[in-house]
This record gives sequence, C-alpha cells and structure tokens, in this order.
Amino acid sequence: MRELLLAQNLTKKFKSNSALCDLNLTVRESEILCLLGANGAGKTTTINLFLGFLKPTSGKAFVDGLDVCENLNEVRKKLAYVPEQVSLYPSLTGLENLDYFVKLSLNNRLGKAELQNLLDRVGLNKSAANKRVNGYSKGMRQKVGLAISLAKNAQALLLDEPLSGLDPSAANEFTTILRNLADQGTAVLMATHDLFRAREIADRIGIMKSGSLVKDLSPTSVDQSTLEEIYLQQMRDTELV
Amino acid sequence: MNKAIIAKEFTEIVRDGRAIVLFGIVGLLLLLGLVTGFSTESTRSQTVFDAKVADAEVFNAQGAKNPHSAAHFSRMAHKPVAPFSAFDPGVSAYVGQVVWLEGHYRNPAMFRAAEDATELGRLENFSLAGVLILIIPLLVILLGYGSIAKEREQGTLRQIISSGTSLRSLLLGKFITVFSISFAFLVFSIVLAAVTSLFVFEASSQPLTDLFLRSVSLLFVYGLYTAFVTATTLFISAIVQEAKNSLLILLGLWTVMVVSLPRLSASIAEKVYPSPQSSEFWEAMDVRLSENRLDSSSAEYVAAERVVIERAFGKKLTESEIENLAINTRGVRLEVSEVIDSEIYTAAYAELFKNYANQKNFRRLLSIFSPTIALQHLSQAFSGTDVNAHEHFSNEAERQRNKIVRVLNEELIINDSGENLRYLAPPEFWETVPEFEYEYPALEIAWRQSGADFFIVLAWALFSTVGMFWLGKGRLEV
Ligand SMILES: Nc1ncnc2c1ncn2[C@@H]1O[C@H](COP(=O)(O)OP(=O)(O)OP(=O)(O)O)[C@@H](O)[C@H]1O
Ligand SMILES: [Mg+2]
Repeated sequence: MRELLLAQNLTKKFKSNSALCDLNLTVRESEILCLLGANGAGKTTTINLFLGFLKPTSGKAFVDGLDVCENLNEVRKKLAYVPEQVSLYPSLTGLENLDYFVKLSLNNRLGKAELQNLLDRVGLNKSAANKRVNGYSKGMRQKVGLAISLAKNAQALLLDEPLSGLDPSAANEFTTILRNLADQGTAVLMATHDLFRAREIADRIGIMKSGSLVKDLSPTSVDQSTLEEIYLQQMRDTELV
Repeated sequence: MNKAIIAKEFTEIVRDGRAIVLFGIVGLLLLLGLVTGFSTESTRSQTVFDAKVADAEVFNAQGAKNPHSAAHFSRMAHKPVAPFSAFDPGVSAYVGQVVWLEGHYRNPAMFRAAEDATELGRLENFSLAGVLILIIPLLVILLGYGSIAKEREQGTLRQIISSGTSLRSLLLGKFITVFSISFAFLVFSIVLAAVTSLFVFEASSQPLTDLFLRSVSLLFVYGLYTAFVTATTLFISAIVQEAKNSLLILLGLWTVMVVSLPRLSASIAEKVYPSPQSSEFWEAMDVRLSENRLDSSSAEYVAAERVVIERAFGKKLTESEIENLAINTRGVRLEVSEVIDSEIYTAAYAELFKNYANQKNFRRLLSIFSPTIALQHLSQAFSGTDVNAHEHFSNEAERQRNKIVRVLNEELIINDSGENLRYLAPPEFWETVPEFEYEYPALEIAWRQSGADFFIVLAWALFSTVGMFWLGKGRLEV
C-alpha cells in the first residue's frame, strides 16, 4: 500500500509556542484517518504543513513520496483541500465559485451540468447554486467547499472539519461519498470533533494532544462509548499538564 | 488558467457597483480634462490664426513706405498650435505664441508669461495629460490594492494556491486585468484627443500619419508607466497581510511619487538653475551687444560690409566696382550691424535654452525617485509642447527675422543712395517679403531628444514587473 501522506518527526513552532512536536503519522491509499483533539491540539497545523502553507521548524512532510517543501507545485496538484473556513467570492454564485476553482485545479473546464452534478452530490440544489454566495449560510458554503475538493479527483484529501455546519442528511451523504472515494484509492486525512462520525467512517482514529499523536486506534476495536472515554481521558490529562 | 483568473476578476469588477462608479468618475475627469484642454487650445489657435491674417493684411497694405520704418512696424512669427497641445499643453501657457520680428532686436516670446507663472506652475495644467498622470495611478491603486491582500485576508488565496495555481500565474492574471482596464482608459483618452484635434485644428494641417505616430508614442510611454504602477500595486498587495495596509502604503507612494516629487523637482531645478528675469537678460544682452560692436574702420567691419553688399547684388564685386556703386550706406550699416548682433543673439538665446535644458536634466536626475517626472517630459515632447519645441520655434522665428530684415535692408541698399532714409518702397513690394511658414519639428526629433526619459520610464516598468514576478516565484507566505 502506498503511503500517500507521511509526517516524519514533524515539528512546528510559532515563536516559543510549539504547535506540533515530533509528529509521526501515515495515511495510505484507500485509508481514512480521522484526527481528533482539543482546540489547539495541532490538527489544522498538520494539514497546513502538508499543503506547504507553513514551513516545518524541523522534520518533514511527504506527499506520495515527495518532500512537500521541495515540490510545492507537484504536491499541491495531488492534494485536495477543504479549509476550516471555506472562503468564496461573495459576488459570484456557488456554481461560479465552483467553476472558477475547478478551472484552476483541473486546467480545463467542466460543463455546467457536471458542475451542478457535483453540487447535487454534496446537497446544494440548483436554485441555491445559482444564488450569489453573499447570501449563503455556513452549511451552504461548506457544501461548495466540499464540491471543490471532490472535483479535483485528487490522490489525497485534506479535510479540516468538513462536516461542520452541514445538516444531518448532507453529512450522511458526504460520509458516504468519502467512503466510496477511499474505496477507490483516495487517502483521506480529516480533522474533526465529531467522535460519532469519526468512528463511523474512519479506518483509523488518531488522537492528538499538544502537537503529537497520542493514540492511534482502529474504530472496529472500540465501541462508541469506549472511544468517548479514551478521548475524554486524554483531554483530562491535558488539563493536568 | 490565466483566462479563468482574468474572467473571474472582470466578473467581480462588473458586479461591484463601486468599481462602476469609480470608472464613471475617472471617465468624467478625463472628459473634463479634454474639454478644458480643447477650449484653451482652440481659443489660442483661433487667436494666433486671426492675428496672423490681420498681421499679413496690415503689412501688405502699407502702401509706399520706407523699408526701415517697415522693419519697426509689423511682421510677426506666429506659432501654430502644437500637434497634441490640447492633450498636453506643456509649456504653452508660459511661453509666448507670437514673436515680433523687428529690426535690431531679437524679441522674446518667452518671458512675458513666465513672469506671472512660477517654475512650479510650469508642469501643472489642467489637461487630459495632467488628469491621466494623476488619475491613472489612482485608478490602478483602487483596482489593485486588495488583489492579493484581500484574497489572503478572506482565505481564498490558500484555496487558490492549494489548487496548484502558482502565485505567479495569479499575479499575471491580476496584472493583465488591472493593466487592461487602465490601458483602455488611456486608449480612450488619446484616441479622443487625436480625433478631436483633427476636427478642431484643421487650420494647423497636421499630416494624419504624424498624428497617428504621436498617438502611438504617447500610448506606448503612458502604457509603460501604467505597467509600472500596476506591478508596484500588486507587489505591495502581495507582501502585506491586510488590504487596508496595502491601500495606505500605496496612497502614500502616490502622494510622494505622483503628486509631490514632480512639483518639488521643478522648483528645486529652478533653484539650482534659476531662469533669468527678463530685465536681467536684456541688460546683459545690451552689454554684450555694445561690447561686440566693431569700429567701422576695422578690417573685420570692412569684410562684413563687403559680404553684405555682395549679397544684396547677388554677385562677387571688385573693390572698384563697390566704390562706384550707387548704394545707400545707411542701409549697409543697418544690415552689417544686423549680421554682427545676430551672433550675440544666437549665443545668448542658446545659453538661455541651455539653462532650461539643465533644469530638465536635473529633474531627470530626480526621476530616480519617481518615473512620473520622466513621463511628463515624454508626454510634452510627443505632444510638441516642451521647451525643446519652443526653442525650435524661437530659432525659426529668428531665422525669419534675419531674412525679412535683410530683404528690407537690401531694398534700401539697392534703391537709394547716400546717407538718408528717403526711399519709399512701392506698395507692391510688401507682398514679396516672405511669409513665415512654421513647421513643427518631426516626431523623430522629439524621440531623439527623449532617449534618457524613455529609458528611465522603461527601466521603472521593467524593474517593477520583474520584481513582482520574482515575488511570485519566491516563497511568499500565503
Ligand atoms: N499562525 C499562527 N501563529 C501563531 N500560533 C499559531 C498559528 N496557527 C496556530 N497556532 C498555534 O498552534 C497551535 C495549534 O493550532 P491548530 O490551529 O493547529 O489547532 P487545531 O487542532 O486545528 O485546533 P481547532 O480544533 O481549534 O481547530 C495552537 O496553540 C495555536 O495557538
Ligand atoms: Mg483547526
């Protein structure tokens, strides 16, 4: 199995504050890794390092075997990304926003029907898709962000709380899509606070604390309540520290 | 990819009501500049044209009159309105349009107006060029200050970069968008100026190709300048974290480089190379003229006399032939002094224009800090309204003066004898005195005189554009 995402002793310091500390993790193809962790645990920082938005203080991030820092452009072509906060152009419609980002990432265009099809998959109907984004709810923006990431057919998906703001049916729908993508070979790294969803779709669950991976679990090995207990246990330890 | 970026930028601009209002305001200011320029210049053109007609009528209708009184009576050299003076009046407002071609004196066209306008004012006229130079940078800044900074602030920059688009392509797309909008305003202004001048100044019979080449030249240098402003705007927008800081920095740069430095450079140049006051200039001239007067018995004087007489008769003459000629000696003396004084006038005026050239070079030096100064020089040069063009006119007028005075003196020399000025030229004679037909120096000459200014503007445009793309390659934090 190819290791599509690999972090080796990844460390990131902001001034004196260590956001990541010797983080080691791997996401192979067809694998979904859910990262759990308290606010400030370092989930977003991890994703940003894979995208090359930040430079590691030490250690390395690899995407499909390529060192991120040295191959920024190739690496970014292999990745799709949904940020913590999806930002769109307010004066364009959802469809136009999608169209723009698709053109940028695919270097060619998709037909209107294909674009709408993508939006349908994430649960944004036609009339909403043709409204300007400045009238969108958080969930509607989130859906456009998801569609943008799906359109790219990337080898690895980096999702930063992708389900936040989604209504339950859209969240269900999206988790199904993710599962299908993973089954076709995509590697997924997803930061989330939703233990329930994490257990439902992940192949592995990582719990982060103060910039390191403190637990690496298989969801089949724990039931929902055990997972919650382990998670809360870890958080309590944090407070003690 | 670039097409997508450009298309999206335009869609955003079209949907942003503020941008449309901004374009409206810019368009209005440009039209105002155009109308102001044209009303001033067409009045000037009409005045000069009327004066020229009246002057010719009066001169030709003098009736029987002594040629020397005629030399003090009339004949003017009229400066036709310059090819693009409605676009950029340059120094037109500060230099005279008419030179009185009088015997004995090389009269200035220059000082009169300079007395009531400071050197500071020399560069600021409300005209299309003036508006363009101020407003185009402002337009570029308002369109471009947020182009990268705002995307960074919103978070869309990271989404774009994560798509695999390089910052460089993004910069290129934004550059093309902002530049083409501003360039469209330039084209609009210059084409409008050219077309209107075609209709308003029919009298000044501009060849169409000349007008066209001047338009292209102006468009070219204004385009380079716009490229500089656009690249600088995007550069600043790319390196700051917040759009409002970008706006603040750019407005600061605009105030210094576009508004203040050109004016400051003009007044510093005037301090370093002060233009002489009219009275000083003429006092010095009188001294030089009297120092240069020759004793009528000197060999030089005799030689000059001989030249004058031979010229009047149009052939070589022997010593004895000259002695036997029935000529007017007063006329000979008048023409000899004309020839001798002419050297002094030429030298003194050359020094005067040299001083203006020094001022210009000094301002050029200051364009290390702002290409706006060099652009102003280029704009005036291609419009035919710079000091160089005026110098050309002034020298041509002097040549005409020498020609007319010589014709009048020779009429006197040949047709009268003795010491007095009793001869009356017949009424038909006046029509034979040549008319002043002035042609502006060719555009090619303006280009040759503007090499330094052109390279300054070119260098600024290149450096800023290369700098911007270099940023795009470097690891700018996104
Ligand atoms: N740009 C930054 N400058 C300084 N410190 C930062 C920066 N980005 C993150 N940090 C710090 O790094 C640590 C990890 O932050 P990060 O955003 O990765 O957490 P997270 O796990 O994504 O949290 P959340 O669940 O709230 O999204 C935090 O202590 C945060 O304060
Ligand atoms: Mg986060």
